[in-house]
Amino acid sequence: MLIHEVLVVGGGLAGLMAALTATEKSDVAVLSKIYPTRSHSGAAQGGFNAVLGEDDSIAAHIFDTVKGSDYLGDQDAIEVLCSEGPELIRELERMGVLWSRNPEGGLAQRSLGGAGFPRACFAADVSGHVVLHTLFEKVLERGVKIYPEWHLLELLVEEGQIAGALVYDLARAKLEIIRCKVVILATGGYGRAFAKTTNAYANTGDGMAIAYRAGALLSDMEFVQFHPTTLFGTNILISEAARGEGGYLRNKDGDRFMARYAPQKMELAPRDLVSRAIFKEIREGRGIEDKYVHLDLTHLGEELLQQRLPQVKDLAARYAGIDAAWTPIPIEPAQHYSMGGIRTDIWGMTNIPGLLAAGEAANVSVHGANRLGGNSLLETVVFGRRAGQTAAKLVGKEHWPSLSQTAVSRYLEPWNFLLAGRVQGKQDDCPFKIRQEATLLMTRQVGVFRDGAELEDAVKRLAEMKERYRRLTPPSGEQPYNYGLIHYLELGYLLDLCELIAKGALRRTESRGAHFRLDYPGRDDRNWLCHTISRWGEKGPEFSDGPVSVTLYIPQERGY
Amino acid sequence: MSLSLKICRFDPEVDREPYFQEFRVEIAGHQTVLDVLLEAWRQDPGLSFRRSCRSAICGSCAVTINGTPRLACQTLIREIAGNNGRITIQPLAYFRQLKDLVVDLEPLFDSLKAVVPWLITRWDHDGCMDPGVSRRMESLASCILCGVCDAAFYNPGGTKPAAFVKGLRLAQDPRDVLNAARLRLMQVPPEILKLFVKKMPKVCPKKVKIPEI
Repeated sequence: MLIHEVLVVGGGLAGLMAALTATEKSDVAVLSKIYPTRSHSGAAQGGFNAVLGEDDSIAAHIFDTVKGSDYLGDQDAIEVLCSEGPELIRELERMGVLWSRNPEGGLAQRSLGGAGFPRACFAADVSGHVVLHTLFEKVLERGVKIYPEWHLLELLVEEGQIAGALVYDLARAKLEIIRCKVVILATGGYGRAFAKTTNAYANTGDGMAIAYRAGALLSDMEFVQFHPTTLFGTNILISEAARGEGGYLRNKDGDRFMARYAPQKMELAPRDLVSRAIFKEIREGRGIEDKYVHLDLTHLGEELLQQRLPQVKDLAARYAGIDAAWTPIPIEPAQHYSMGGIRTDIWGMTNIPGLLAAGEAANVSVHGANRLGGNSLLETVVFGRRAGQTAAKLVGKEHWPSLSQTAVSRYLEPWNFLLAGRVQGKQDDCPFKIRQEATLLMTRQVGVFRDGAELEDAVKRLAEMKERYRRLTPPSGEQPYNYGLIHYLELGYLLDLCELIAKGALRRTESRGAHFRLDYPGRDDRNWLCHTISRWGEKGPEFSDGPVSVTLYIPQERGY
Repeated sequence: MSLSLKICRFDPEVDREPYFQEFRVEIAGHQTVLDVLLEAWRQDPGLSFRRSCRSAICGSCAVTINGTPRLACQTLIREIAGNNGRITIQPLAYFRQLKDLVVDLEPLFDSLKAVVPWLITRWDHDGCMDPGVSRRMESLASCILCGVCDAAFYNPGGTKPAAFVKGLRLAQDPRDVLNAARLRLMQVPPEILKLFVKKMPKVCPKKVKIPEI
């Protein structure tokens, strides 16, 4: 048995920030399904929002975020996000982050969607990568113990409190128990629930599903962000920075069609609006080959592309065979971000004592119904640090929770059975088939446009797939690096989360932010200005409504 | 198009030594070697290889493709299928093979320790930096620690190329206390340095350029 006071699960920005903070006062380990530098935080391109300029203000950042969230964001959490941002950006600068600079040597800032001011600090268009590697350097400096390529399987909850975690070491193909006082889940989002997604293969929402099974509350799972500009076909992300630097969206007639949807903000309207506008253009016959629209960067000039958007230029060249300086890029919207997650307070605490969450895995909620570009990276460091601070405080206060040998055996038994053997079981059905069907269903019927009948059908078919999943023979676990086993486990997590997303979407009979119901096209504050809270139950998820924190800004109509 | 794929298999608990397994896959020319590997994995779920972002930023899928270390997700089929439609995939050279295409990455991450791979911030740093100075470090900072360069040039006992890139990036940082003293710390012989300068941009998936120093 391994022992650490704090176990951080997930080695992306939120996890590393939490670990670096907690390690000041406690014994911390980071457990991650991939090496920390491989985390999907590294793929974030655009930037970190923070108010640095004298013309900008924290109040303006708060308001933009509240409005962007379609008033579903919790305003107390948004105040924390925006107020602590500037200090953290400067701290990251001192840690060694290579921010892009303005001519005076200060931090350069660019415009991203839904913001009233150029407010995103960036490192060219590899912002996430640069910050992730800097935090990883600091983790090496502090000597934080890392368990790379270890998988969380189950949270051990004894007498209503976290007592440890049951984990699986992929390299040795062995189960282990890690005893701890606090677990911080920073396991990212559930992008892979959708066939069309910008997210990495690793983003299967493991932490959320495992927390849900352990009794943690999840919230707002039906709110899924679709990024407007992903490469047509492969759905590789083309950063919002491309529009922030002046890129245009054009339909087959060459029109900048955003003029009809968001006359003021144009291409820099929030992502939910832009994604719907693109699909509307395509549906009404103004798409190119009826399938995609163009992101036009040709007027920006080669030098600007090279300096500010080098990765965008590379990605377009490699995966679409296009020189973005001369040819518009074919793009389509695809799943990008999970607004929903494990419900926490502004200190990262969940409803289970000792269980904390931060980053995309959590729902605190700063993004509400729609996240603004540049706010998720900021969230990772602000709330990652807060979770680390809370963990350190709890460790000092709490005794070691009891974890008897009987309890350990009880946790291990089903997994020992599941993982026994070295031979892959033969079966008629297979995880690949179910996963393909489920994710296609999610993209087609639980995507940008939703309606009651399609959602009901999706819920029914997901239930059938869950049944098929139950009948599968699990792949053997006693083989090192058994990705077949991981794929099987991930499918189980995804099916749980798909059910929550689809049922949550069916239940919410209104349109708000990224959740758009064709049969209920208006926002309904009287009935639905509330969070969707879901909890595991014997007969399937149990839903209830949770209050939204409204401190300063009363909901208004949201025009751009 | 139909491709013939030879993938190096090895399970240390069963196999005495590595062997090749043939796969046939149907694939389009604009797809990548990673897509091919995923297709082979569907045929044999026991096949082990690392992957995650599929857009050349996470550095997971570095393997040897037709003899050259590369990222599978960054290598298009049409770039390499000239080889009679045959593709051979092996683990990274000079790394210990743990299972199929999965290699032991500990030496890569351990090698960083030799260069004190973190910024030691000067007490008088005021938060400002000349944009030109900052831009000159961007190429070095784009390293994704994929291990391709360590597999491309073998430097036994000396500073490994990936660690060298990290050290060099910090040595150029005006915020760092050690700064240029890091170059002496790394003790890279001139002939090795020359090799790094000349070859790095050619092998590196992120085209990291080592400046003349």
